[in-house]
Amino acid sequence: MSTLAPDAPPVISGDAPIQGRSPWQLFWARFKQDRLAFFGLGIIVFMVVLAFIAPLFASLTGHGPNETFTSMKDSFGLPKGPNGSFFLGADDAGRDVLVRLAYGARVSLIVGIVASGIALTIGVVVGVLAGYLGGWVDTLISRVGDVFLALPLVIFAIGIVAACSTSEQGCLGGHLKPGLTLVIVIIALFSWPTPARLVRGATLSLREKEFIEAARALGAKERTIMVRELLPNLMAPIVVYGSLLIPSSVLFESYLSFLGLGVPGDTPSWGKMLAESVGIFRVAWWFWLFPGIFLMLTVLAFNLLGDGLRDALDPRTGR
Amino acid sequence: MKSRKRWIIGAALASAAALVVAGCGGDSKSSGDTGSSGTVTKGGTLRLATTDFGFTNAFDPTGEYLGLAWGYYDNLLTRGLVGYKHRPDADGNLIVPDLAEALPEPSADGLTWTVKMKKGVKFAPPVNREITTKDIVFAFERIGTKSLAAQYGFYFDPIEGMQAFRDGKAKTISGITTPDDSTIVFKLTEPTGDFLYRLAMPAASPMPKEVAGCFTKAGEYGRNLVSSGPYMIAGSDKIDASSCAKIKPLTGFDPAKNMTFVRNPNYDPATDNAEDRSANVDKITIDINTNLQDIFDKVERGELDGSPDTPPSEVIAKYAQDDTLKKNLHVFSGDRTWYITMNLSRAPFDDIHVRKAVNFAIDKASIQQAWGGETSGAVAKHIVPDALYNGKFPTDYDPYPFDVEKAKAEMKQSKYDTNQDGVCDAAVCKNLFHISRNQPPWTKYNPIIAENLKAIGVDVKTQELPTGTAYTTIQTVEKNVPIASNAGWGKDFADASTFFGPLFGSATIIPTGNSNYSLVGLTAAKAKELKIGFPAGGVPSIDADTKACGPLLDQARLDCWIALDKKVMEEVVPWVPYLSANSVEVSGPGMSQYVFDQNSGEMAFAHIAVDPSKQK
Repeated sequence: MSTLAPDAPPVISGDAPIQGRSPWQLFWARFKQDRLAFFGLGIIVFMVVLAFIAPLFASLTGHGPNETFTSMKDSFGLPKGPNGSFFLGADDAGRDVLVRLAYGARVSLIVGIVASGIALTIGVVVGVLAGYLGGWVDTLISRVGDVFLALPLVIFAIGIVAACSTSEQGCLGGHLKPGLTLVIVIIALFSWPTPARLVRGATLSLREKEFIEAARALGAKERTIMVRELLPNLMAPIVVYGSLLIPSSVLFESYLSFLGLGVPGDTPSWGKMLAESVGIFRVAWWFWLFPGIFLMLTVLAFNLLGDGLRDALDPRTGR
Repeated sequence: MKSRKRWIIGAALASAAALVVAGCGGDSKSSGDTGSSGTVTKGGTLRLATTDFGFTNAFDPTGEYLGLAWGYYDNLLTRGLVGYKHRPDADGNLIVPDLAEALPEPSADGLTWTVKMKKGVKFAPPVNREITTKDIVFAFERIGTKSLAAQYGFYFDPIEGMQAFRDGKAKTISGITTPDDSTIVFKLTEPTGDFLYRLAMPAASPMPKEVAGCFTKAGEYGRNLVSSGPYMIAGSDKIDASSCAKIKPLTGFDPAKNMTFVRNPNYDPATDNAEDRSANVDKITIDINTNLQDIFDKVERGELDGSPDTPPSEVIAKYAQDDTLKKNLHVFSGDRTWYITMNLSRAPFDDIHVRKAVNFAIDKASIQQAWGGETSGAVAKHIVPDALYNGKFPTDYDPYPFDVEKAKAEMKQSKYDTNQDGVCDAAVCKNLFHISRNQPPWTKYNPIIAENLKAIGVDVKTQELPTGTAYTTIQTVEKNVPIASNAGWGKDFADASTFFGPLFGSATIIPTGNSNYSLVGLTAAKAKELKIGFPAGGVPSIDADTKACGPLLDQARLDCWIALDKKVMEEVVPWVPYLSANSVEVSGPGMSQYVFDQNSGEMAFAHIAVDPSKQK
């Protein structure tokens, strides 16, 4: 008869029962160990606060976001650098760079979050429909997605923005007017196919699982299965992809603004500031450096957070 | 790229009936260095670079309307019956004989111009034959061919039979006859005193039918242009022109990459005036480089000799402040006005008090500063650049100095300021669509315009667009853009008629390609035809005034244009003119002689010289 080895673990006495941990607790336990993700989260919180208190900068400095100061330009029209009242200097129109940076955070975050939200919503809905229903629905959605992915994105975006920006009426019978909304729509329009593919793939796998079979056997309607069974199980990839889509959208807005096709002229935007600084980058370092840093930090922050979320939500992912 | 496009397309210049003598050109103010540095040697290669050729008709002289292209043609490639000296200031606006033996004179009734051509002037390869008056006739037939899109063809409408030819009702232009190969006679339907200026335009230069006739679509001939000047496009001598099918595009012109001019072996300096075309360099290369900063870095280092592009503010500042570079900064009157245009058919700009208020409210000095300060030009106070008035325009004229209180006082008189507080309170003053460009310096002063107008309750929503898109937007009447600041206008030749006719003539209001952005002279019938609204109070017209100035001569003509300029500023008020722009160029150490061409507003390629020992 064998005996317990001397170094075998002690028999559980029953005094300390095993504590079951919820998915949230499991997520948090993993996530809180990720310092880089926390760093990213911290930057995002800072940017959100900055966006909210942008008017405070304007009132403290006494400089509106579109207020021009001829005193901050030299006789050749070149902007002057940081000083006691313009802490980050002036832009080429003589506006306060600090105040415009703060207001620019609003544009970047609004575009990033709203455009990504729209793209993600469309992507999830059509992805689940395609993956779960299959057949012609899947074929139709997948091919439409393929078409959008095959389009030369920047060229199409430029074309749409240009077409909608040359009249007061805008496009689509006046429903789409030049401005921030148009930029958001453009970004969302070209961003939904990738999450749709991702969700479709995950749905194809999930719909064969036993719990879906069980739900179907219990008489659940297809809509109920999709909303109550599939969606909760898709949340991890959706959240992770969403956090990575936001920086892409922020950068996309910057591209458009850099090309002169982004937000309207009087709307501060980091991409627009960078574009405007190109011609004078050697004599006005402050004009490109600060928007560049803010843009880089924001994109980096969302990417770090996205990586952290992916690691925490998907235990199979190793570091 | 300097914005030098004369954006007139297919408009009719109603005021062409003028009997003005050549030499009406302005005593334009120049403040630059000619760049001449002593000994000028022949030979070498002039190396230029530009961000974009920007041609409006692919370099086909029949339709091309870019000032820079006119500079290439007139200095280097195409010799007209008459031409220019390619010199700065008033001298550069004088008409001189070129292919003509002498400066032609009109008949007593001003309706017939007979021109005797020099003999022995030959086309460059691949044509290699003597130029005859038939080649001039063919050039005019091209102008009258609709498919070739002669953008300023309206200047030649006074020629008898031109319209019938254009409409396909006649196979020849009855008003142009050639008694022999060296005599050409133009018969006009009305006295046209500035006819010589019109003859000097590139579309009227000789074109050989055996090559140019092979190209029936707009712009196609641009890549096979046959030269009559001292230079030709490289590769011309390699072209087989024995049949149209064998003609291939010239290797020396790739619209996306570069352009190279080399000496025309058939050019005989004895047939030309060396004072007008020195033809110093052996070769000219113009490369496309989309990096403007890089272009000017190379110019400073001596790797390039210059650029037709306007240098960025930082480059201008550097050259202006550095004693060693200062001599390479060249500033001359650009004979161009930049302006804000207001649409007289649209509220609130259908009210003259609003338009006057806007004029008072705009801080033009700040806009000038945004352009780069005084180097970029003077604050404009009226429509036509002073240079075109031969220095006769009163220098103290300033109807709308920047004054917010005066702006509010004007606004108080407007129907759109119901509570009379000097601030527009009508809904039509809110969210006004304002078209501008999406590049500096426009992006630098769009906020200034918005901020200035806010003070009188005019709230503009600025839409910054690429240059071409901005122009086509405001040129499309149906879009009915209320206010725009993207446009500028340069002279076609040195007469004020080239401003008042195309910019404010009712005949120039056309559905697309319209250049009368303010719609001055719009009638109810025309508004209906164009599907736009028409204000209850009507729209003022200056057609009668323009027509009245047309036949006048010399000082009377100048006085008439000056009076009309003031009338437009005070009684019509379609614009806020803000900058009378300079042409600003910098040259590299390898350019031993810089000369400005007042007519084209570019460097005078015909007189530029280089010193290869200083080139890198």
